[in-house]
Amino acid sequence: MPTLHLREALLFAADAFAAALLPATWTPALRVAVARQVSQAAVAIAPVFLAATVVLAAIVIRVVDRSARDFGLSQYATELFARVVVLEIVPLFVAVFVLLRSGAPFATDLALERQAGRSADRDATLGRGIGIALAVLALAALSAATALVAAYGSLYGFSPWGQDAFARAIGNVFSPVVLGGLALKCVLFAVAVAALPAWSSLSAPVTARAVSDAAPRALVRAFVVLATVEGIAVAVTYA
Amino acid sequence: MDEPSAPAPDERRALAMLAVSALVIVAFVLYALHGRGAFEQTQRLVLMAEDGAGVSVGMDLTYAGFPVGRVQRIELDEGGKARIEIEVPRKDAKWLRAASVFTLERNLVGGARLRAFTGDLNDKPLPEGAVRPVLRGDATEELPAIVASLKRLLANLERITAEDGNLDTSLANVRSLTARLSGPKGALGVALGGDAEAAKVILAIDRANALLASLEKLSTRLDGAVQKADAKLLGEGGVADEAKASLAQLKAAIADARESLKKVDLILADAQKIAGNAKSASQDLDVLRAEVDASLRKLNALVDDLNRRWPFSRDKEVKLP
Repeated sequence: MPTLHLREALLFAADAFAAALLPATWTPALRVAVARQVSQAAVAIAPVFLAATVVLAAIVIRVVDRSARDFGLSQYATELFARVVVLEIVPLFVAVFVLLRSGAPFATDLALERQAGRSADRDATLGRGIGIALAVLALAALSAATALVAAYGSLYGFSPWGQDAFARAIGNVFSPVVLGGLALKCVLFAVAVAALPAWSSLSAPVTARAVSDAAPRALVRAFVVLATVEGIAVAVTYA
Repeated sequence: MDEPSAPAPDERRALAMLAVSALVIVAFVLYALHGRGAFEQTQRLVLMAEDGAGVSVGMDLTYAGFPVGRVQRIELDEGGKARIEIEVPRKDAKWLRAASVFTLERNLVGGARLRAFTGDLNDKPLPEGAVRPVLRGDATEELPAIVASLKRLLANLERITAEDGNLDTSLANVRSLTARLSGPKGALGVALGGDAEAAKVILAIDRANALLASLEKLSTRLDGAVQKADAKLLGEGGVADEAKASLAQLKAAIADARESLKKVDLILADAQKIAGNAKSASQDLDVLRAEVDASLRKLNALVDDLNRRWPFSRDKEVKLP
């Protein structure tokens, strides 16, 4: 049964995060690795992912708006949508999606290299982790914006006359504190999705099952951390 | 690891993606700040409420259903009242005037609502930092009183509808009443209180009918008598004609009487003259009588004197001439 080893995981993530912020870390090889990962984890899937976000947003805003109107609370529909979809669902959805699509292969690749007896290339590994983290942030930002645009279109169509009410509702939800909290949560998600698979594989003993266990172990640990961060964020925001 | 000399397509796409994402983040932050009115010039309005429950920071102040202000701060002031500070954008401040009224409404469903009402839009503008009381309209506050009233109402209803209660007794009475109404002489008996009374009324009605029949006969006879009287009075040679002839005779008699009266008038004039002469004659007679009286008094005095002088005489009778 895999254990989390939270302290070691946090130290690894903090180390990687600090290294990513150092200008000296950004060698050409790292930049290439980052670009390749961002391209693979974000650019390649952005159209499909954003389309899925539009569908999700349109469905949710329809349900929320209809229910709010039935209860005579239509003025709260936009705020409810922004809180549920943009603040909570979209960042978590993006983190899980990137974790499944890029985090799991990342963990498996590192386990394979260790299995083959090669030491991990620092720039390539760090660059890939930074790329995954940037992919989470980029997709979260684009998805949130896309969801809001889709919600506006679903509520008001192409009419500009709903802009005042919409902006007011968005402004009510996204106070500076909430914006800061959202940014912090997205950064934590990004670090968790990028660092936990790497740490999971690098900290695991080299055994015959290390490669096959790498992805599930990384996913479980990342899911636990994501759920914990989301729970704390919800508790801080609404408690 | 290969190190490309020129930016690879991956790197360009990644850079574009990151740049777009950064722009979206900046735009989103600016949009949220714009939505919060961060770039608008505002003026402050302070509302004082007895109870600030339901009011939250960021809540809208609406005028005619449109938001014209936003709650920025809530605190309890020294007097124990809720002090609600509201930022009103300058462009929307025209809807709020010096005499505007503000209400805080709490409904059963949904949050509290701050609303502004302006009766006269030509009134003076609301000054900066104005402090206004807020009136409360709370539907839930009335609930306990309504529930208490409802309980009393239900208790009364229960008492009224209980077995042997007022309503039950009344319904029993109504039932017996309708039963009596549906019987013979029902309505009359109910109205008069018994069948015997109803029988009396029916008897009285029969008698009245008989009376009316005899009155009808009498009326017929009277009608005939009136016709006869009419013929006697107004018919040919009737009383009316005779009265007419009598009136003509009376008119002639009156004319004769008028002539006679004229003659009497003349006689009276003559008599008046004669009376005037008689009056002067009576005046002469008065003088004469005065003289006779004087003579008599002298004669009486003379006799008295003689009697006094004539002592033998006892006869005191004096014989007048």
